[in-house]
Amino acid sequence: MIEVVLNDRLGKKVRVKCNKDDTIGDLKKLVATQTGTRADKIRIQKWYNVYKDHITLQDYEIHDGMGLELYYN
Amino acid sequence: MANRTDPTAKNIHGTNPQNLVEKILRSKIYQNTYWKEQCFGLTAETLVDKAMELDHVGGTFGGNRRPTPFMCLVMKMLQIQPEKDIVVEFIKNEDYKYVRVLGAFYLRLTGTDTDVYQYLEPLYNDYRKLRQKLADGRFALTHVDEVIDELLTKDYSCDIAMPRIKKRWTLESIGTLEPRRSALEDDFEEEEDKEDDDQIMIDSEPDAREKDHYRGRSPARDRDRDRKRDSHRQYRERDYDRDRDHDHDRDRGRGRDRDRGRERERDRDRYRLRDDRDHGRERGRERERDDRESDRRDRDRCRRRSYSRSRSRSRSRDRKERGGDRDHRKRHGRSSASPRKHEDENGNVREESKKKKQKKPKEDGTDHPDPEIAEANRIRASLGMKPLK
Repeated sequence: MIEVVLNDRLGKKVRVKCNKDDTIGDLKKLVATQTGTRADKIRIQKWYNVYKDHITLQDYEIHDGMGLELYYN
Repeated sequence: MANRTDPTAKNIHGTNPQNLVEKILRSKIYQNTYWKEQCFGLTAETLVDKAMELDHVGGTFGGNRRPTPFMCLVMKMLQIQPEKDIVVEFIKNEDYKYVRVLGAFYLRLTGTDTDVYQYLEPLYNDYRKLRQKLADGRFALTHVDEVIDELLTKDYSCDIAMPRIKKRWTLESIGTLEPRRSALEDDFEEEEDKEDDDQIMIDSEPDAREKDHYRGRSPARDRDRDRKRDSHRQYRERDYDRDRDHDHDRDRGRGRDRDRGRERERDRDRYRLRDDRDHGRERGRERERDDRESDRRDRDRCRRRSYSRSRSRSRSRDRKERGGDRDHRKRHGRSSASPRKHEDENGNVREESKKKKQKKPKEDGTDHPDPEIAEANRIRASLGMKPLK
């Protein structure tokens, strides 16, 4: 179980607990329950890399405590 | 200049019509090449030509969420705000299905409740296929009536949040709308007549188009509902299946509970679906035998369960109640002073959760000792994900 921090630089900072083998899509759903936006409106990036929905966190080498950028579609 | 709404346009739902589409999507549409090239200076007539050239429906697609031409045309209609008769013409035309769906979408966004139901429900009879562009860019097959159903029942479609409309039964109860007559009703009545000769008569709900089963209805109303033929069974079958699973935990009233038992029997015979139907049948039989006892039990259960929404949540709530009450009792040493109702409930609660725990260890991790993790697991279970490791 890892905890990922998502920050949208406009005041929304969300800490989400998830598994390593969850996909980005699952992570988006968890973020959606916490922030209140819809899951398909969320875009998770790291600098200019937009993270795709079907790849797991483990494959993106997202570790515990790592910060990701939260953008909206 | 080109993106301003027509100055003579009226406000829709209290706002500039273009604001029905949210900001991010709106800016994406304005920057889209289709919008800039094709949708410049369109009037209602030329818009029809563009609409006839449409070949797929959809919201946004791709990694950067580009809007489809369908979206751009919806936006254009919101901008120029054509007359209602033009929109109705769009809907009524039989030749071009995408024009129809475009008109229906626009009407759903801008029309009043009555109009929406009145004009969109006839489209349920249109079974033509449509090409839908999904979010990842692929095409999927859908049908006109599926799209209309989505417009009428969900509050989000093609990446646009639909304005709230009243439920159909609300409009019927005020009298602005007639109860829904389906095109298949006559066929069903025949089938009903044949089957009901051998079956016992059961209570049933009057209107098939009730989408919101989970609104609280008074038990008196359930009881008073006479035994009517259920000619709208098929439409409700979906809801029924959902209900049946939930009904093991959720009771909304004694009358309905009894009904469910009998209905399960009947359904098993008639439809021959899954195994849990048998389980339901046994339950139903039990209930019929010990009517009074079960009523009392159900009443208590109902009172408690009426606060819970989902199985896992009710379980966690049981646990909270149970834990809280035990501590409370210990601290305050109350053995019988609490009002009988409450105690009865708790007694019941504890008994039944214990029974459940013995029967089935929880797999979705909502019984984790750490409350935060239990909460997280509950959310994950509700989303359909496995628990945290």
